[in-house]
Amino acid sequence: MQGLDLAQAGKNAETWEKVLRKVGSGQMPPAGLPHPSAPATAEFTKLIESELDRAANANPNPGQPIIHRLNRAEYSNAIRDLLALDIRPGSKLPADDTGYGFDNIGDVLSLSPVLIERYMSVARRVSQLAVGDTAIKPEVNEFLTRRVSGRRSGRMERVSDDLPFDSAGGMAIDYHFPVDAEYVIRIKAPAVNTNFDGPIPEPLIFETKLNVKAGTRKVGVTFLAQSSAPEIVPALGVRPFGNNASQAPAARSTAKLDLRLDGSRLNLYDLPYNGAAPRFSSVSIAGPYNSGSAGDTPSRRKIFVCRPSKPEEEEPCARKILSNLGYRAYRRPFTDADLKPLMAFYRSGRQEGNFETGIRMALRAILVSPEFLFRVELDPASAAPGSVHRVGDFELASRLSFFLWSSIPDDELLKLAEQGKLRDKQVLSAQVSRMLADRRSKAFVSNFAGQWLYLRSLEQVKPDQDAFPDYDASLQRAFQRETELFFDAILRENRPVTDLLSADFTFLNQRLAEHYGIPGVYGSQFRRVTLKDSPRGGLLGQGSILTVTSYPNRTSVVQRGKWVLDNLLGSPPPPPPPDIPALESHAKDGTALTARQQLEQHRANPTCASCHSRMDPIGFSLENYDGIGAWRIKDAGNPIDVSGKMPDGAVFEGPAGLKNLLLTKHRDEFISTLTEKLMTYALGRGIEYYDRPGMRAIIREASASNEKGQGPSLPGLIQAIVGSPQFQMRRTRQS
Amino acid sequence: MIISSKSLHRRTFLRGLGAAVALPMLDVMAPSFGATRVGAKAAPVRLGFIYVPNGIIQKTWLPAKVGSGFEFQSTMKPLEPFRDKLLVLSNLAQNGGRALGDGAGDHARAGASWLTGVHPKKTEGADIRAGISADQIAARELGKVTQLGSLEIGLEEPSLAGGCDSGYSCAYTNTISWRSPTTPNPMEVNPRAVFERLFGDGDSTDPAARLRLMKEDRSILDFIRGDVAKLGRGLGSRDKSKLEEYLEAVRDIERRIQKAEEQSATAKVPVMERPTSIPDEFEEHAKLMSDLMVIAFQTDMTRVVSFMLAREGSNRAYRSIGISDGHHSVTHHQNDPAKIAKTTRINELHVKTVAYLLNKLDSTPDGDGSLLDHSMILYGSSISDGNAHTHHDLPLVMVGGGSGQVKGGRHIRYASETPMNNLLVTMLDKAGVPVEKLADSTGTLAELTGV
Repeated sequence: MQGLDLAQAGKNAETWEKVLRKVGSGQMPPAGLPHPSAPATAEFTKLIESELDRAANANPNPGQPIIHRLNRAEYSNAIRDLLALDIRPGSKLPADDTGYGFDNIGDVLSLSPVLIERYMSVARRVSQLAVGDTAIKPEVNEFLTRRVSGRRSGRMERVSDDLPFDSAGGMAIDYHFPVDAEYVIRIKAPAVNTNFDGPIPEPLIFETKLNVKAGTRKVGVTFLAQSSAPEIVPALGVRPFGNNASQAPAARSTAKLDLRLDGSRLNLYDLPYNGAAPRFSSVSIAGPYNSGSAGDTPSRRKIFVCRPSKPEEEEPCARKILSNLGYRAYRRPFTDADLKPLMAFYRSGRQEGNFETGIRMALRAILVSPEFLFRVELDPASAAPGSVHRVGDFELASRLSFFLWSSIPDDELLKLAEQGKLRDKQVLSAQVSRMLADRRSKAFVSNFAGQWLYLRSLEQVKPDQDAFPDYDASLQRAFQRETELFFDAILRENRPVTDLLSADFTFLNQRLAEHYGIPGVYGSQFRRVTLKDSPRGGLLGQGSILTVTSYPNRTSVVQRGKWVLDNLLGSPPPPPPPDIPALESHAKDGTALTARQQLEQHRANPTCASCHSRMDPIGFSLENYDGIGAWRIKDAGNPIDVSGKMPDGAVFEGPAGLKNLLLTKHRDEFISTLTEKLMTYALGRGIEYYDRPGMRAIIREASASNEKGQGPSLPGLIQAIVGSPQFQMRRTRQS
Repeated sequence: MIISSKSLHRRTFLRGLGAAVALPMLDVMAPSFGATRVGAKAAPVRLGFIYVPNGIIQKTWLPAKVGSGFEFQSTMKPLEPFRDKLLVLSNLAQNGGRALGDGAGDHARAGASWLTGVHPKKTEGADIRAGISADQIAARELGKVTQLGSLEIGLEEPSLAGGCDSGYSCAYTNTISWRSPTTPNPMEVNPRAVFERLFGDGDSTDPAARLRLMKEDRSILDFIRGDVAKLGRGLGSRDKSKLEEYLEAVRDIERRIQKAEEQSATAKVPVMERPTSIPDEFEEHAKLMSDLMVIAFQTDMTRVVSFMLAREGSNRAYRSIGISDGHHSVTHHQNDPAKIAKTTRINELHVKTVAYLLNKLDSTPDGDGSLLDHSMILYGSSISDGNAHTHHDLPLVMVGGGSGQVKGGRHIRYASETPMNNLLVTMLDKAGVPVEKLADSTGTLAELTGV
């Protein structure tokens, strides 16, 4: 720190910000050296902070986001909102790389020939589906049933709100039928083995051929509850449920397989099966065959804002249609220069086919245009290089919509931008509230919370069936749903963000309630449950997070500790050094060591201790939750010790102790970590030292906006971020 | 046995691979382009790079004896049928994978260095940097005559949340193929996407319709170019380099269309059913991808394929062989015999997968021999001991005749610290893409020819 002059803090802001964080979090001075008293530390950090903030105010640096390619989720949503076509075409694009924990980081979103090829082909498909091309080629799409099923999962429960109440198992698919035509729905079920030595029999195939009107419809394939196995299989010693609970599953039985389209039954098949529960392996939908008309779909209504009735009306109508689509797709005023090349596509398509062919060709061009695929922010011509300016109104509209909806701005935002009103403080704040209330903000929950909390990993973790026979697809879905609903509630009820850790409620269905040992919750629907004297409540007691931080067959003290440090406290442990000594599973005298003893030995090594002394106690305090988040008081027959001591001497015990520690001593770190993650996601770039004064201002503003003094809420933080210079301004390009 | 012929026949019809040229054009299921040329001259060399993460247990992998007539150890046993076409190459090192002062992150460095030879920049975000990988060096050259420069395929989706390895971007563990030092190529895991990449997703198999589609694609690409040029004005250099990436990709596709048009008159494509989903089981997925790789070579759509059996650091649990622990966790076995046994079984499963592919290549006629005769397929890892994260004495085998340039049946052990990059340079050389140097390479490996 020699040579650093606090009065000139602005000049060495990067270094001073580092000092601030190390001292503030107690990592400096290092353990073992004399520490200044708490008030002295607070005074010191306050002094640095105010100097840095003063310097930043005088000379703000809002950063310079690079042009930003839409990621998969954004692409899907943009197509949905532009064309009223909800078919998730982004899933056909290669996966996006992540940076700083999120997949919407402009710098990291790279471009490869594969990607452009996919853009071209997806754009063709999307334009065909949206316009309704009756010459579209038939294709087969197969949907596999998830095989994540637990050893003990003879359970058969209703899997989707889109399926009938008396249904059990199966799946519901949102499928887009491109035109009015004939389609074939094929259900494949595993063969029934009669003779184990004989040849493997062919699977059973059930086929239904039918005429379907164009549009997105729900295909449901499920079992009638009374026909299938009881919800819980009694033979395995779990509590029975339902009428035929007393009957053990026969070696060979028949279930009623129910096929529905938009809720109406198409067919009821008898499916023979053996084992605990009937199952099918996949549903394929093939078509269209013998296409009729393009039909009347929301997409066509959205695209065809006019319909020419005579030839001379065609060109003006095409102009109108394409200007309307182009304006919303490019998210900025649409000029004649923009229209010209699109009209050329229209004309070539018109020549080849008809009016609609022309529109389809031009739409395809819009969808591969860099103006659609990239978010570009231009500098005003007059701005001096390196100077700071407000982004344009349309650019602000896009910043907003991609932050809160992961999608393009809607008509209201575009209109406000056009009128130059969006930058008005009140208008902007009202728009943020409107956007958060809109269902499109679900994207914020699934993309922000999904990545911040690692919920997305739930799809990829595969807990071991031997260690966790209860784990199955239904429990996995329940985990995901609980945390999403919970985060959603904290957001929508404007609760202080600390409730994310401390709330006394959660969302459960019967399955999850049984897993947690909470009585009195029946049925497959989720509902809010108030918790009393429960080790649940708050993110740290949720199965989702406890599972993604575990190994497939056991808990991981280190991974859980690291997750808390990374995502809640923002002080990731430095990566382990090379040549890490292995954990010794046995003591010198040959006796087996517990995980705690092994890690204690590990920490005896000072290099290891510097990080493990922070990770391990946190992880150990969560050891009452097993590898899939079920409560336990013993591990392999041994009582679990959940006490811990942090390097600064703080002593705590169990999940309650950890929660309390995080909410008191580390409250500020938690809030600033969450804010940093939110800003990273909002700006689509990593947070730099020059963003930190702005970040502190955001936290101050959001805290002040909560009248009850309970600290900032998510909407409060979002409003403050949107109002900040980092969000509204950018630095002009140098060259 | 992991190869169930039942599922193969039902899912994937590789009907009479060799007889493809005899198929009438309209009989073809969906190809929009294609190209097994009739009466081709000398068969071209194909390059395959198959990566397996987390190292391989050496004790059950490496033959004890050097030279010819060695005995196959258990892990490598599935490759025994290819003994005469196979070289075991031991003691090569990939220095770029080592810490070199960057601390932890051996998995990220392993993935990133295997084919680039380069020590990647330690960063989580904006400024990822490795080097151009050997497959892409080859693709630039060999791609001049094929529609696709290269194909990149994998069997494991990238991680969807959280970091990947100790302060390194996930790009380093997700791919082994780098188009430029800053542009990683994604590994495609969806067989259907690979199929459509090869044979298009056009609506018609009618040649006239396909040509019309290509014309449409061309005009779309022209339009993109125009738009990019307009957009580029007034942007800074960082933005421009992003747009340049876009333009370069556009040029790549234009070149491809041109090739397709040139070859459309003579193109014939073997029939394969368009895959409808990503198989759940590792084995089935692997077979389908292997089939696609073979068909890509066979139709000469590309001569370069990189293939990741899992992403580096993968913690996949191979339940089909009864292993529920994650791959990465068991490789940190700390000498626990149970974990070592599990790792070994995973190693074997991977080798069996490769054996399936090699068998397919070997039984596919190509010019005066088989595809395998004209290929050089490198299989291995950039980590040797997964427990200690070592980057020397890498597990590597190369299979295939390289069109008569490689003499198999031997185990060659190099002097300690011989750069693996020498092997990459040699492979490129034999594929007709001579490069002077790749990272720390010091020359070529003359012994491959058998002198």
